[in-house]
Amino acid sequence: MEFKSEFFRSPPTPVALLPYGMVRYHGAPADLRDIPLGTILNIKAFLPPDPKNSSVVTTPNHWYPLPPENHAMLIEDEPSLCLREGKTWRLKEVDMKNDQGLVVATCESKDAAEAKAPEQKMTLDATTRFWRGRESLKLADLIAEGTWPASGKKSLGGQSVLLGLCWKPCPDGIFVRYHISDIWLDETSTQRAIQSQTEVHKSLIRSRWMPAFVDNVEYGKFGRAKVTVTLFGGMDPALYADFKKGGQTAINGAENTLKHAGGSYGPAHMASKGPILEVVKTSGAVPMGSSGVQVTMETDLIIEGIRPGRVVRIRASDWPNLYVPREEYIGDHPSVEDRFPSPALFPRY
Amino acid sequence: MKTFVVLGSLFLVLGSLDVSAFAANETPGTKSKEQTAEIYRPQAGKFPDLAKAHTYRGELVFVDHVNRRGSLRVLGVGVFRRNDPHPFAMLPYGMIRYHGAPADLRDIPLGTIMHVTAYLPPDPKLSSVPVLPVDSKDRDANHYRGIGVFPAENHVLLLEDEPSYCQRMGMTWKLKGLDLEKPPGPILATLEPKQGGDSKATEQKLTFDSATRIWRGREALSVADLIAEGKKSLDGQSLQLGLTWKPCPDGIFLRLHISDIWLDDAAMQRSAQNQAETHKAFIRSRWMPAWVDSVEYGKFGRAKVTVTLFGGMDPTLYADFQKANTARINAAENTLKHAGGHYGPAHMASRGPIADVIKFTGAAPMGSSGIQVVMETDLIIEGIRPGKVVRIHPGPWAAVDLPREEYLGDGEFRLEDRFPTPAIFPKY
Repeated sequence: MEFKSEFFRSPPTPVALLPYGMVRYHGAPADLRDIPLGTILNIKAFLPPDPKNSSVVTTPNHWYPLPPENHAMLIEDEPSLCLREGKTWRLKEVDMKNDQGLVVATCESKDAAEAKAPEQKMTLDATTRFWRGRESLKLADLIAEGTWPASGKKSLGGQSVLLGLCWKPCPDGIFVRYHISDIWLDETSTQRAIQSQTEVHKSLIRSRWMPAFVDNVEYGKFGRAKVTVTLFGGMDPALYADFKKGGQTAINGAENTLKHAGGSYGPAHMASKGPILEVVKTSGAVPMGSSGVQVTMETDLIIEGIRPGRVVRIRASDWPNLYVPREEYIGDHPSVEDRFPSPALFPRY
Repeated sequence: MKTFVVLGSLFLVLGSLDVSAFAANETPGTKSKEQTAEIYRPQAGKFPDLAKAHTYRGELVFVDHVNRRGSLRVLGVGVFRRNDPHPFAMLPYGMIRYHGAPADLRDIPLGTIMHVTAYLPPDPKLSSVPVLPVDSKDRDANHYRGIGVFPAENHVLLLEDEPSYCQRMGMTWKLKGLDLEKPPGPILATLEPKQGGDSKATEQKLTFDSATRIWRGREALSVADLIAEGKKSLDGQSLQLGLTWKPCPDGIFLRLHISDIWLDDAAMQRSAQNQAETHKAFIRSRWMPAWVDSVEYGKFGRAKVTVTLFGGMDPTLYADFQKANTARINAAENTLKHAGGHYGPAHMASRGPIADVIKFTGAAPMGSSGIQVVMETDLIIEGIRPGKVVRIHPGPWAAVDLPREEYLGDGEFRLEDRFPTPAIFPKY
């Protein structure tokens, strides 16, 4: 975590996503599995909603001032933050020496009226990827074109770009200096990155189902009920559009990690099924974490996992009926050791 | 609400300890008595016999990169999705390859299908992953999972993705019946020798979708781009494929998914070059792993130390070891973590001139670079004894400080640091 101290000394800080917590990568919805290790992420987080049920340490005991707000509402990489806040990186100057570059840049609001942003120094090298239109370029390509210097200083004239950031160990006792992993040189390349990540996440959600929580249950007779859920936010609009009145749906209990409750024969096996009675879109702004879309369905199998306040996964009728891998559902008899494996899993000699 | 910035590094550590089928209730040595004559384990100070390795494939599911371990869902004959993630650990000289270039575990995206060349744990007492009965690979895991999905050979010499494997073996993929406009449907593919082809190669069904990345020269394309160009098929074309797995419909046991297609050699070379640069920068900051072959002791802590550099790196890294340069050598553990590093690994390292650099003639065993470096130092310490794993810095590389999770503490190491227990959570 970034402090006003030596970055390399900061120990990794555990973070858990809230059930409705959102991940964004390259300006598009993402899952944690999509984020490369080493990526610099911007986080909005809260204290654990219920410390007893936290899946990460609730009282960090360390002489570093680790924040207790470790339950994340939003985790996003640098391009996602800039796109959300309407910011852009402006490249001022690069100084190349021995295939290493030191870039001076400012992160500015696209609104020219805002105060001048401070200059920041970042590094780049032969590992940095440059994206231009549909091209994936290397530093050597830009040097060969003459748009980037092979050595020495060159003004970059405040060129507007998006940057992907990571961190590499710094020499000379520098506390923290970020490294540029990616540079998107134009709007086309940015949109293509967004589209690529969006497709990855759409495919994930269609196979794992849409997360939601239960707003309301109107109980009928013999296990029948009318269930209203709010779909969680941050997904591609095409996914929400798949929930249509009259379509058949399936709803499955889930835990706060969004793991399906039961799935040995696929999540559909234990899910409660029934028709969608209504899809209501909230008018006006919705809170972060919510999609603003409520789905009301009817089922003849109301179970404990589908009570008001519970987290569920709900499937649109057009989505394929798939089986999820073993680690993505909880067994029928989960134990605490499944959640927090102890050294007891190692044999004694 | 509080906003802060964090380095995404260890989100997935806890999962790497998932228990596989036999670990919790069977102790090696009870049901399967080890018969020394039949069991091969790598020995300290010797690179293992490649002929004794067990090879398999698996989907990378968890990664604990700083401890060089993770979990794979191993491909078997049963229902793939039911296979619990199977823990593995890299041998100290174990090599990782991605896109045909050297890599670290942190470079491999979760979900990638990897080829594994592995052995039994060299010393079960020191294994960082569960130790299984030696005949695990021959046992039926039940629950429709079949045989071979929890092999005891979980200490890895070579972990490589599909393009790396195909390039090493001189193989190429050919697609048949691929209709780009019908992405959800499976396509037929054969893996054939690059030279000569193979009309008898077994056809495999694979899937692709709009998330599949296509690389052509310096272009990064999507399926939609090819369709827009009027291209409807890639039939018969020699390709390199990146493979992953997605949940399958209709009760299909296993069908792999195409994450990437490299349409030409230029595109593959560019990917390899990018990965090679990533790994070169990584090794220059973390130092070259090696082990100590011999120590000639002098007086007052002086010694001449001979090490063999581990293999699989870019040649330019080895070329940085030049006679007369001042090298630094630091003790490391089997995970390749530096021993001590609060003030950077150079702080506690032993220094001295490189007295000689010797290249083996002939083929070096897998895991070895075939290069020995002889250096002198006036600070011979316990971590630099024959057979021990070390990290060595050749002189020209920048001296940098490593992140906290990549070095051991100074005398404050506890077992719980290695294997945290639920006790780290407060009681209520």
